[in-house]
Amino acid sequence: GPLDLSAAKVSRQSSLSTARLIEDINTIKYPEGISSPKPELNENAKPGQFRYDRDFLLQFMGVCKEKPPNLPPLDAIGLEPIDPSALAMSRGGSRGGGHR
Amino acid sequence: QEVDMQAQAENIRTVFSDPANFNVKHPLFSAWTLWFDSPSTKGRNLPQTPISAFPQTPVLQTPGAQAAQGWMEDIKRVINFDSVEEFWGLYNNIIPPSQLPQKANYYLFKEGIIPAWEDEANKYGGKWSIQLPKDKNRPHVDRMWLFTMLAAIGETFDPSPTNNPNNSLITGVIVSTRPQFYRLSIWTRLAPGPAEEDPKLRERIESVGRHFKVQVLGYQETQKLGGPLATEVEFQSHKDSEKKGKSVRKIVV
Repeated sequence: GPLDLSAAKVSRQSSLSTARLIEDINTIKYPEGISSPKPELNENAKPGQFRYDRDFLLQFMGVCKEKPPNLPPLDAIGLEPIDPSALAMSRGGSRGGGHR
Repeated sequence: QEVDMQAQAENIRTVFSDPANFNVKHPLFSAWTLWFDSPSTKGRNLPQTPISAFPQTPVLQTPGAQAAQGWMEDIKRVINFDSVEEFWGLYNNIIPPSQLPQKANYYLFKEGIIPAWEDEANKYGGKWSIQLPKDKNRPHVDRMWLFTMLAAIGETFDPSPTNNPNNSLITGVIVSTRPQFYRLSIWTRLAPGPAEEDPKLRERIESVGRHFKVQVLGYQETQKLGGPLATEVEFQSHKDSEKKGKSVRKIVV
């Protein structure tokens, strides 16, 4: 693909790329305040194939901010906001300063 | 065994316990591909709808090979992902629907399924959709689209889900921006025939529509939504959509 200079800013390898997929969701212990997925969704789950309720998924929103390494530069595929300043506001301010 | 479990648990770092150096991520039931198109991704004079431009050849089943043809040429593959963590990394670094130009579409489809009626996974199916007037819904559309995606990737639309991802009922979800309105759609692999045929499938499809209307979009089950530029939450098979008005059967929830 095209040279992506933003990749150079990442000093370490992204956990997004190196982390392995969970096989048994029941072995995962979450920190206090974080809920597990609703167990009834995964009663007959095969390893690595899980269903997740919305409340569970929403807990990741403020934590997973890192841009995936395989996301192409958006302007290269014609994906540009109509109003970049409004976009910054809707994201809750400047990069890195977002609320949790 | 207690000890083994303990040792294993200590080795597992989710993004919640270590946001920078987590070593496990949450797999999605299926892998997904996000596609995008807008006037700026299109060549000139190319039709906007898939049906007229999309060649009816077996090549369709291999996305890579036919990506160079017809309308798929104008639809850009943004990214593939198969975990919750990657989904949010994408979500937090991409443009929400309220910031898209007019006549743009996001297509979030299961990996290997093309966002076109002609794909094997779609051709016997249909879609739930709702059209929302733009002015009134600009503040809501981003959350509606987010919740639509979460129900899709979390695989909670289908009341009787299969354990086989290659056979799951939902094939993809779409958000479209038009000058006057937004449209959200849920595509299904199957579509029920006339009311008296196939009551089980019909009930399953209707459950998807109710889940979409109530849990995802946040309306009351009995609420009437139609009006100027607005539609109810309605289902149409792709085969009926092709007929354009002639004896089109719709299911409304």
